[in-house]
Amino acid sequence: MENALGDRMNGAEMAVLRSRLDGIVRKMSNTLLRTGRSGVLNRARDFSCCLLTRDGDLISAADSLPIHVLSGPDMMARSVLQFHPDQRAGDAFLHNSPYHGCSHPADLSVIAPVMDEHGNHRFTVLAKAHQADIGNSQPTTYMADAKDVYHEGALIFPGVQVQRNWEDIDDIIRMCEMRIRVPHQWRGDYLATVGAVRIGEKALTGLAAEIGWDRIESFAGQWFDYSETLMADAIARLPAGSVTGTSTHDPFPGFPGEGIRIEAKVDVDPVAGRVAVDLTDNPDCLPCGMNLSEACARTAAMIGVFNSIDHKVPKNAGSFRRIDIALRVGCIAGIPVHPFSCSAATTNIADRVANSVQTGLASLGEGIGMAEVGSVIAPSAGVISGVDPRTGQPFVNQIFLAMSGGAASPSSDAWWTIGHVGNAGLCCIDGVEMAELLQPIVVHSRAFLPDTEGAGTTNGAPSTIVEFGPLGADIDIGYLSDGHCNPPVGVRGGGSGGGADQYLIGRDGVSTPLDACAQVTIREGERIVAISCGGGGYGPAKARGADQVAEDVAGGLVSVARALDVYGVALADDGSVAATETAKLREAMA
Amino acid sequence: MRFATDTGGTFTDLVVEDDDGSITLHKASTVPSDPVSGVLDALTVAATARGLTLRDLLARADSFIHGTTHAINAIITGNAARTGLIVTQGHRDILLFREGGRTEPFNHTVAYPKAYVARALTFEAPERLLADGTVQTPLDEAAVVEILARMREQKVEAVAVALLWSTLHPAHELRIGELIERHLPGVPYSLSHKVNATLREFRRASSAAIDASLKPLMTRYLGSLSDRLAAEGFGGKVMVLTSAGGMVEAAEVAAAPIRIINSGPSMAPVAGRHYANREGGWRTAIVADTGGTTYDISLVSDGRVPMTRDLWIGEPYRGHLAGYPSVDVKSVGAGGGSIASLDAAGLLHVGPQSAGSTPGPACYGRGGTLPTVTDACMVLGYLDPDYFLGGAMTLDADASRTAIAENVADKLGMSVEDAAWSILDLATENMVQAIQELTVNQGIDPSDAVLIGGGGAAGLNSVFIARRLGCKRLLIPETGAAMSAAGAMISDITGEFAATVHTTTAAFDNDRVAAAIDRLRRDAEQFAQRTGTPGEIEFIAEARYEGQAWDIDVPLTSTNFATQQDIQAFRHAFDAMHEQIFTIRDPGSAVELIGLRARIRCPARADGAFLLKEDPEAATAMRKRPVYFAGEGWVDTQILRWDAVPTDTDFAGPALIESPFTTVVVDPAARFRRSAAGALLIEA
Repeated sequence: MENALGDRMNGAEMAVLRSRLDGIVRKMSNTLLRTGRSGVLNRARDFSCCLLTRDGDLISAADSLPIHVLSGPDMMARSVLQFHPDQRAGDAFLHNSPYHGCSHPADLSVIAPVMDEHGNHRFTVLAKAHQADIGNSQPTTYMADAKDVYHEGALIFPGVQVQRNWEDIDDIIRMCEMRIRVPHQWRGDYLATVGAVRIGEKALTGLAAEIGWDRIESFAGQWFDYSETLMADAIARLPAGSVTGTSTHDPFPGFPGEGIRIEAKVDVDPVAGRVAVDLTDNPDCLPCGMNLSEACARTAAMIGVFNSIDHKVPKNAGSFRRIDIALRVGCIAGIPVHPFSCSAATTNIADRVANSVQTGLASLGEGIGMAEVGSVIAPSAGVISGVDPRTGQPFVNQIFLAMSGGAASPSSDAWWTIGHVGNAGLCCIDGVEMAELLQPIVVHSRAFLPDTEGAGTTNGAPSTIVEFGPLGADIDIGYLSDGHCNPPVGVRGGGSGGGADQYLIGRDGVSTPLDACAQVTIREGERIVAISCGGGGYGPAKARGADQVAEDVAGGLVSVARALDVYGVALADDGSVAATETAKLREAMA
Repeated sequence: MRFATDTGGTFTDLVVEDDDGSITLHKASTVPSDPVSGVLDALTVAATARGLTLRDLLARADSFIHGTTHAINAIITGNAARTGLIVTQGHRDILLFREGGRTEPFNHTVAYPKAYVARALTFEAPERLLADGTVQTPLDEAAVVEILARMREQKVEAVAVALLWSTLHPAHELRIGELIERHLPGVPYSLSHKVNATLREFRRASSAAIDASLKPLMTRYLGSLSDRLAAEGFGGKVMVLTSAGGMVEAAEVAAAPIRIINSGPSMAPVAGRHYANREGGWRTAIVADTGGTTYDISLVSDGRVPMTRDLWIGEPYRGHLAGYPSVDVKSVGAGGGSIASLDAAGLLHVGPQSAGSTPGPACYGRGGTLPTVTDACMVLGYLDPDYFLGGAMTLDADASRTAIAENVADKLGMSVEDAAWSILDLATENMVQAIQELTVNQGIDPSDAVLIGGGGAAGLNSVFIARRLGCKRLLIPETGAAMSAAGAMISDITGEFAATVHTTTAAFDNDRVAAAIDRLRRDAEQFAQRTGTPGEIEFIAEARYEGQAWDIDVPLTSTNFATQQDIQAFRHAFDAMHEQIFTIRDPGSAVELIGLRARIRCPARADGAFLLKEDPEAATAMRKRPVYFAGEGWVDTQILRWDAVPTDTDFAGPALIESPFTTVVVDPAARFRRSAAGALLIEA
């Protein structure tokens, strides 16, 4: 530990500074959450804030969305430095280019340098916020069938200056207002994002006034060394080995008929304290919106690793030094080549990458890795748009009526409402009344679906099912629902979670299946039914505590038949465990 | 004579106010298995100090005000009533979905929380209303009767009803209430629109479920409390503190026990407001209450105590969201018992693990060997081993040194004093972070506020906290060691009433708003009639910019919205409040009104002096002992008895000011004075 911290700043001083920098990031996040205008920000919390060194190394991203920040902010900050070598205090830059480090075009980011009193660039603050709309050719921010970036139609800002001397450059704002749907809402979200960045800048400047810029910089270096030490320790506790994890995305427009199988070769070297993830053996970029940005390819691999080890390791440039990621230029899970579209880079294929890493790691030994987290985006979290008959105004918004997907870990049943692996459950869920107030819809029912949990020693989440439809008008809904053909798998003997599905109920009450990935118009009087993925289980179901199974049956989310067949648990008439019969059943299952 | 008590985890505090307005403080150990006996013990201490018997003391009093953790403990330990829930058809999992959200994205060791009412006891009533009141599905009364029959079979002890859109259109909930009275006579029930009129159905359902589940037990508890006090000779009124920082008569609690779930902690800011006003007419204060295991922070903002609707029972996202308005109190796991440790790579951590009161800090000599914040204060010379709690307990200074040397100092290669200072410094930082989060949320700049330290351990590091926050003034009231009980004594009788009204400044529906205000005013006035004291009504709007999801509270200066100017005045007040909290205003967006609340305050005590009786035995002789300060080393420091400090005289630090309840550390850089009323004012 002497080596980790050296003789410069002791463990007590570091702890205090760490707490202060995390506090600054939380302050930024709080501002964004409470002032954001679109539902995707203020209800779904689909944004992140972080603090980087001048050179773009990630220092802190307290409680941000994993897929947004592990890698990405670093590359974006570096690209802004490259394009704008002569930055001034009060500058700010818009960035959403997946070809220059952003996750996907909808994640519009504001980046600002933090300057000392002599005009030297000391740190960089960044806030990234998923937009309700980014000017695509269709009213969705996840355009699966975009042949290329031109067809996708998103406005792309590869580090474009948007503020000078702390004031907006109106040219840029006007462009956005002409090309982004519901511009008023966009402007509100932009204000919230730039507000968060400025709050971070102010707080950091205040800290420097107190302890000096050099000391914060010195802290950052030592904080990275400290985090790297903890990461090496965590990896040292894993078994050595090389595994290839796989995860297959369902057939989608622009995909081959059998879908896309993602492979991650993972090497764990506990002695050296390093993990390597090789994603090069995957298909080339495809003429659709599903290609990963480099940021998402890297981040997804890192999420798979961090989900599989001690969660207390800090996530920053220091611990990242212990992960080697091999990517290939022109690969769907690698480095995209312009003009291939990365419209849906944060979810579908990225989820498959993270899942292949964590399920691969699970096969290395008991107590490591995780089962597969369910895929997205079911229509219950789709983007809806139309004209609100109550006001005559157009609207577009991603709704978050339901999602589950949580996977079992070695130590615990899943957290159900995880959303998808890249979101990690931070997303909020819309209330029915608020959703009906904000959009012309009626939510007829929403529930968890019985017998869809990933059965295991620890369980994955059950699926959700939502039935909703328009009120007084037609609405459009865009979604891209992976996980019907390839539901989330369990690991180490655990079972699969429920798969995704969706159908339309006509005015005549007749159900019609809907495509997995579509932009659908729902007419007044019709309803859409959306079923999300559950999550995979960890370890054999017959080793699950019999009392827990009995409790699940009492709640109605596991049927008596499933308890018997899958868990080997027999119940007495009063619902309690029939111990002798259960023991016998479980023995027979061995 | 009046009594106010606060039952904490370790001590039960009692404040007694005599008829001349003078007060005394007393403490007794809390009896977790029987909180009332801890209260009676404290009353016995007070009686003895006056040379009276308990019966004589009780006979002289006309009111007994008490905060109770009985309700919240019942929830945490799962001992509330077996409760059934009736919801709108199709929405059985309302309590299971919650509102999403999670903390610690990479921590997969925490399973999804269980619903407050088990799925097996949640039933769907065939019915559905829409936002505009359209009956999409009429209430199927026969089906409800069937549900109630099944609840009876399942031995349900309380029923909650939470239907969609019931705050705007309560007819179906009201009808189900009638059916419960007919078919489950005697079973207490709660209707969501009456318990918590908010447009967020999860919070409303959660509030209703918690409320119903507390009814049987709180009715029993308060009945037994009143009986026991009566049996000992008390003939006055029993009052209970509410989460909103007021009090209600015990008889009112039974109708809506959710009102008292945050009963104790809500009182510190009430005391804080009083002392901030008394000592300097200050309108903005940060009120910190230091306990053995938790540090509770609350605010006074422009003379008001801010409220929150995000009260969690248990950890945020992992516990239960009460959904019910409460004084905004943030609790962090930091206190005298917080344990200091080093991780594998040598980083210091303080808390959240706590040594509690058993085994307690190493210096307590009860078997604790891990270093705590109290041990750090021992090593630094802040605590006198022979005068802890006025000498009621002797501390072991060597045990503190050994614990810190072995677990921290030796491993970091630093002196025991430096290690002790680092522990206190990190604990201070954790407290500062918690304060900053709360002040940011309420848009308060700490440098404009006075910091008020309460709790027995507040004096140990409040000077350092104030300096770190940039607070120019620190105030330790003379009753600081029992601040919640002091707050209880000066709190008002309060009631709160809410209505859902949705309209926008773009097309303001004055008729509906006026009708809602009339209704709320009537409710509030009826409340005042029941208390027998006239009160003051304050109206609060819950509002937001169009499209925002989170509304903020805007106190209304006028309830008149008849003219365009009135509406403009309201929107200006909203813009100003939004800018205060979030630093931005958006004059281009319409403002949506989501709900209205009326809060009525009926004063419970006459404006008396409320002065603490001085300790006649306070030694005037000044002593000195070496005390360690960072950057200074050991400094020979004057030790003063609180009541012996001359009033209205400025002193320079360093100094330690001791009373039988607390010790206040003033470092060399700070100055202090004792006010005429007895509080300590420190410039950090």
